[in-house]
Amino acid sequence: MISVARNLFNYRELILALAKKNIVVRYKQAYLGLLWAVIKPVMLMLIFTLVKSFVGIETNDIPYPILTFAALMPWIFFQESAAEGVNSITSNTALIKKIYFPREVFPLTAMVTKLVELAIGFLILAALMIYYQMLPTLQALWVPLIIFYTMLVALTISLFGSALNVYYRDVAQALPVLLSLAMYASPVIYPLSLVKTKLLDEQAAGEWSNALYTLYNINPLAGIIDSFQRCLLQGQAPDFNSLLPGFIATIVLLPLSYLYFKKAEDWFADII
Amino acid sequence: MAPIIEVKHLTKEYSLGTLTSAKDTLRHTLAKLRGKNTWHRENFKALDDINFAVEKGEVIGIIGHNGAGKSTLLKHLANITKPTHGEVSVRGSVAPLIEVGAGINPELTGRENIFLNGAILGIPKATIRDKVDSIIDFSELGKFIDTPVKRYSSGMQVKLGFAIATSMDAEILIIDEVLAVGDLAFQRKCFNRMEELIHQQGRTVLLVSHNIRQVERMCSRVILLNQGQIIADGDSHSTCDQFYQLNNKTISGQQDNSTARITSSGEVNIEQVDILDENDEPSESIIEGSTLKIRIRFTSEKKLTQPEFHIGTHTTDFIYLTGESTALLKKDFSFPAGTHEIEQHIPNYPLVPGSYGIRVAVIDQQGRVLFHGESLKFFNVTAKTDNAPLQDELRLIATNVAWKGMPSS
Repeated sequence: MISVARNLFNYRELILALAKKNIVVRYKQAYLGLLWAVIKPVMLMLIFTLVKSFVGIETNDIPYPILTFAALMPWIFFQESAAEGVNSITSNTALIKKIYFPREVFPLTAMVTKLVELAIGFLILAALMIYYQMLPTLQALWVPLIIFYTMLVALTISLFGSALNVYYRDVAQALPVLLSLAMYASPVIYPLSLVKTKLLDEQAAGEWSNALYTLYNINPLAGIIDSFQRCLLQGQAPDFNSLLPGFIATIVLLPLSYLYFKKAEDWFADII
Repeated sequence: MAPIIEVKHLTKEYSLGTLTSAKDTLRHTLAKLRGKNTWHRENFKALDDINFAVEKGEVIGIIGHNGAGKSTLLKHLANITKPTHGEVSVRGSVAPLIEVGAGINPELTGRENIFLNGAILGIPKATIRDKVDSIIDFSELGKFIDTPVKRYSSGMQVKLGFAIATSMDAEILIIDEVLAVGDLAFQRKCFNRMEELIHQQGRTVLLVSHNIRQVERMCSRVILLNQGQIIADGDSHSTCDQFYQLNNKTISGQQDNSTARITSSGEVNIEQVDILDENDEPSESIIEGSTLKIRIRFTSEKKLTQPEFHIGTHTTDFIYLTGESTALLKKDFSFPAGTHEIEQHIPNYPLVPGSYGIRVAVIDQQGRVLFHGESLKFFNVTAKTDNAPLQDELRLIATNVAWKGMPSS
């Protein structure tokens, strides 16, 4: 992990240059430019809001559009960082075969690119907060840490996935499907408090309820999305009980994912 | 001081055949777990036990036929791929110019690409900012520099790539076939830039090229690879000479497979063409400046009255060099039906060392071509001495000359 951090520092100029290239290339000939980056969360927010008007979802007095938008921001950042990260090795074949630098630069670059789009999401969120007359509290200072944690989760998937994708291109095909399923297993459309109430307070699954709630929280995004909403919209500290299972999973899996990546890296140029 | 590059027993194997499916991988892995190895794939040795060391400041050429392993070797030095066996240690920063413009993105402008490629090649941004004007200047792009590269002509793209690639300050430069870029004037400029990098700045350079003359001129030492092995490693002249001979051998080796170019009316057939040495024994080569004796055995179906024999030599790319005809003999002769042998002798065959082919034509009294064949036999002219003069290959014909005005030392 320390070597990742060191590489990140040593190759910061390269990562930034490649990220800049990604953004410029993507939006250069588009008239709306970077606005396209926020079209997706905004559209999803509108659709979810429409759906919500048919089915009741308890939101604890927070306007549903802003609640779901605050969920979509970390979710889409995670989803796209992972998906793009998994493709990042195979889509840079020319560079991989010609020039050496640590290959984790590619998944990292994919993430930094998405970070820029996330930043634009914050502008929309700020506009929504002004509209609903909500003020951020000091708890908002947790947000950078939550985003950093989201990056670790995305890296866990993209390091392992991108290396495996060099050998089996099935990975890049399967991942979007799995991720779109994972969205329903994460508190994006509904708030985590709903799950918590059902399982912990009402014990809806009988004796399995507590275990099921822990299982739900092994998905790190559950804790991330909930904390993101709490810190920004509710002025509350993160719920560490919901963060813990996912955090343990990440701490265990990230080093394994990185080791696999470094082991596979030697053969990228031969296999790709 | 330890050598800047050290390669020990480097072997690289690639497995032949198609990609393995997940099913096969699973099957083989399961079999392996049960203690059986079902993995039988044919391996190809791209590099086979390569050993060499490079001192700082050396300029080394790597030559060899296509598929000899040159680029694979460079990839190991640039850390792009890892050896199957053996060890490669490089003590210094490496700048790979393996292919000019590998990192050029068509959507970005020339200027943006300069910064992007600089970052890819590990040049700090501040350094590029200092150099950007000289890079633009060298690339000759001028007002096009802020236009997306996708709208450039291919020549402009190559110029940009070369200008970026040669502007960095690495200790070791790895160059693979990049000098042949752009038009003649730009090639000249590239060549000068390379020489400047090599000679004035004292860098360590590895150069791969099929342009042997260029390698010979720029490098102090040349490594000759053949089928993944080093077959020569030494001063550039003798190694390049060895490569020429290897080349010639390959070409004459092809003669058996690719048939000679023959047109024949069927009445006369050339059975055998031989080169004879001074003892009149068949040989494959003669020494430069000695007598070339060509012996032809032919069969005629009927009596040949006053035929004309035309026997000549040509280069491997069919430039006719010599060619003399029996018509000039002004002598009547005829051959009865059957097999006969004739010889042509050229005293002091004037061609420089290389591989040459033999051409024979048989024409009857009426001027009808009975037989014409090229590449009927290949032979080598070998150098007179082992230490041939420098630039010995920069000529085609050896002549006797007299020198004047040379004071004795």
